[in-house]
Amino acid sequence: MAGKIVLCRCEDVTLADLEHCVSRGYQDIEEVKRYTGFGTGPCQGKECLAAVASQLALLTDQSPAAIPPFTSRPPLAPTPLRLLARDPGAHRFADDPDSERSS
Amino acid sequence: MATRQPTQPPPFDEEEDASRADVSGEIRLPATLEGAGPLPDRAEIVIVGGGVVGLAIAYNLARRGLGDVVVIERGYLAEGASGRNGGGVRQQWSTELNIRLMQESVDLCRRFAVDLGVNVWFRQGGYLFLARTAREVARLDKNIAIQNRCGVPTRMLEPGKARDIVPELDLTGIIAAAYNPTDGILFPWPFLWGYARQAAAHGVRIFTQTPVGGLEPQKGGGYLVHTPRGAVRARRLINATGAWSPKLAQMIGVHVPTYPIRHEICSSEPLKPFLRPMVSELTSGLYCSQSMRGEIVGGVTIPGHGSTYGMGSTLEFLATYARRLVRLMPILGEIKVLRQWAGPYDQSPDGNPILGAAPGHPDFFLACGFVGHGFMMAPIVGKLYGEWLTGGEPHEIFARYTLGRFSGGAPPVPEKEDFNIG
Amino acid sequence: MARRLPGHDAVRGEAIEVRIADTSVRAFPDESIAAAAIASGTRVLARSLKYHRPRTFFCFEGHCSGCLVRLSGVPNLRACQAACAAGAEVEGQNAFPSAEVDLLGAVDFLFSRGMDHHTLMTGSSVLNRLANKVVRQLSGLGKLPDRAAAELPEVAVRTVDVCVIGGGPAGLAAATATARAGRSTILVDDQLRPGGSLRTDPRTGRRAAETRWADAAVAGVEVLARSTAIGYFPEDDGGVLAVSSPDRLYRIHATSWIWATGGYPVNLPFPDNDRPGVLAARAVGRLLVDHGILGGDKVCIVEVPEVAVDAAALAAALREAGAEVGRIELASATGTRGRSWVSALDTLGGKVDCDLIAVAGIPAPASEGPRQQGCKVVLDPPAGGFRVVIDEHGRTSAPGVWACGDVTGYVGPAAAAEHGARVGMNVAMATMAVDW
Repeated sequence: MAGKIVLCRCEDVTLADLEHCVSRGYQDIEEVKRYTGFGTGPCQGKECLAAVASQLALLTDQSPAAIPPFTSRPPLAPTPLRLLARDPGAHRFADDPDSERSS
Repeated sequence: MATRQPTQPPPFDEEEDASRADVSGEIRLPATLEGAGPLPDRAEIVIVGGGVVGLAIAYNLARRGLGDVVVIERGYLAEGASGRNGGGVRQQWSTELNIRLMQESVDLCRRFAVDLGVNVWFRQGGYLFLARTAREVARLDKNIAIQNRCGVPTRMLEPGKARDIVPELDLTGIIAAAYNPTDGILFPWPFLWGYARQAAAHGVRIFTQTPVGGLEPQKGGGYLVHTPRGAVRARRLINATGAWSPKLAQMIGVHVPTYPIRHEICSSEPLKPFLRPMVSELTSGLYCSQSMRGEIVGGVTIPGHGSTYGMGSTLEFLATYARRLVRLMPILGEIKVLRQWAGPYDQSPDGNPILGAAPGHPDFFLACGFVGHGFMMAPIVGKLYGEWLTGGEPHEIFARYTLGRFSGGAPPVPEKEDFNIG
Repeated sequence: MARRLPGHDAVRGEAIEVRIADTSVRAFPDESIAAAAIASGTRVLARSLKYHRPRTFFCFEGHCSGCLVRLSGVPNLRACQAACAAGAEVEGQNAFPSAEVDLLGAVDFLFSRGMDHHTLMTGSSVLNRLANKVVRQLSGLGKLPDRAAAELPEVAVRTVDVCVIGGGPAGLAAATATARAGRSTILVDDQLRPGGSLRTDPRTGRRAAETRWADAAVAGVEVLARSTAIGYFPEDDGGVLAVSSPDRLYRIHATSWIWATGGYPVNLPFPDNDRPGVLAARAVGRLLVDHGILGGDKVCIVEVPEVAVDAAALAAALREAGAEVGRIELASATGTRGRSWVSALDTLGGKVDCDLIAVAGIPAPASEGPRQQGCKVVLDPPAGGFRVVIDEHGRTSAPGVWACGDVTGYVGPAAAAEHGARVGMNVAMATMAVDW
């Protein structure tokens, strides 16, 4: 292995990638997420958000309290479609077999 | 029907985008993109809105020599709908003008990575529209005739042929499909970075984290644009703020009849490539495609919701999407959703964009009302705007898609665009 | 090498067989697939998306992506959150020809300084078309499932006074307190067995986890095990917490919410910190405490000062189980070595041979659920990350939403249990009016 310091295991985002991203002017945590891809893999930031945010504070010379987290998006864990498919809140279209409300 | 345009705006909910409600305090980075420096005193053109439409125009102005341009974005690049869409780029539209525009956009997308130096992973896997009713088939038939006349190779397929393209489909209830192999998908975010970098390289200054607080019309034309970073005097101003366009226009008393509609979308775990085209079902507005990273990215149109800037996520969406998608492609039942989010459509009354100067305000230009399809139209609209404002002949879109058409000052657009899907 | 300790045999039960990468492996129903795999010498399970670096176990609690495998025909499942069942088939993912010998691993060396995939091969249209084709073919992790889902289960609804999210020391104590005070209480825990960090810490241990789980049940708490709060949806149904269980989705309505989700094990930044054999210290603790598996014979603990006391407790327990243990400050760690598994840690003081590296960082508060409910959080590196801000009673900034334990900043299992009990009492007191 080539000596990389990995911050995000899901998307292979390294400390060097973060430095590159910041040097290009993408310094908002949401921009960093989009440019490097950190926090967009199967763990959705559970392993990496705190680490990247802390490093971002150092690299951009800001106090940690000035760094917000990226938006927390559902589902908080990977959720199979089959568990969701019969939720009673689903909209029923005209052709749904058990259509109660039709559109 | 998912794709019908409401003629009257639905009730509006004043809730603002709460995506950053968890931020401790009001935090905005001082940083601006690519070291833009302080806001200049004046600029030939100020573009408000650093989404794909605004940046495409900025890039096209600058590369034609008009680099005295300032772009003002209230958040970060891609914070609005440009960073929240599904990345679809198609030519299957219902009016000749939109079809021809999208043919040019597709050409620009094909060249984008090399022209702009950033990968957008444009992949022409086609678009497959599935019909479940005779009325839907009739709609597709009518559109295909126009598309074919324009040279788009869309064709109607028997359901079995659709399954040759997507073997995972459950054809129960599907009676026909429209397929154009030259439609495609791309990865939206780098598109903005590409435009922004190249625009900046040609002199455009881009200020992120800079909300516009007010517009002050100037004697002799133009506007003083007030921001927390100071004011810039704009000789001409372009409103490219997407769903926020009515708010910006209101600052100078111009009424823009568009309104925000939230559309939700989600992304799955990454899977090895299997799905070639974007698949869409007319009945529900369900659509899904497989991104360059392997995720299934898709959404569904749930009718009956009010107008809102709220960008929260709902279980209703997740459940509706799951229900429709598992029905259409049962093999996806065990596939896991990783992340859902929402973005605002800038809904216009006739489904078509609003372009050109506002009546009575020759220095106030509009580039809005794209009804969730601004991303795919931006490359060509940016190009045509750039040509026009640097002295070229105005393309017919600037005469046809005027704001005046809603107030009797210009003829209405003869055909409504009724194919704003997904 | 990892090995099962005989002292644990009594709780293991009868051996069964599972198949891992086409090899029959001895396992126990008490174990997770990941525990059985590591005990049988499995090293690499998959390759990473971009650089094809080897991927395998790290956190052992379902929060990283290290141990994603194809399990009995379903892609991208976490081996650490699947119980061993006879006949289970485990396959690696995203590697050619195999996870351990992956030819695409060369990508890691070709781009040893990293790769900006945004600008890669944009020089000519021919190259770019090629890049698009190659990247598409390399993308993704698992393949489509073997078959459609057997059934689409009905959704269950629960309406309670109190919903506690997280069944570690804080959550179990809080739920027990509210249930004892007569509040109908449901507790949601995402692990194979509730107990959270009690099952990873040699100072508390498996028995403490089981006692407190039993206490909660006796007090009348409805415990949803292997169930994950997947989101709070304020606009649906007046506000609903969706919870996914292996066999169904729950919609939970509650008057009071208590977030006790603890913290996630994190990796620490040092070169090649993702090499197989680098595990979270808590994972090493869990293997020992909950599974009776000693993860290695020579263990290096890489640590930060804030968790020195925890690291010392883990080191002592590993030594007692027969391992050699060295403790190294993060600042001294300069790299790792090894082929498919670590063989040494490089430090400023020289190379230290080892067959396991345990990374002891400050657990990162699991605050994304509270954030969806509108709770204020703040980045506080010494507390582990984005901690939920609470007042002295445990109230967050969102009405009706409380938090306790490590999610409010790292405190460790003993203090978390005390905090949970106290906040549970406060919630019961604050909702007293509804009794009359």
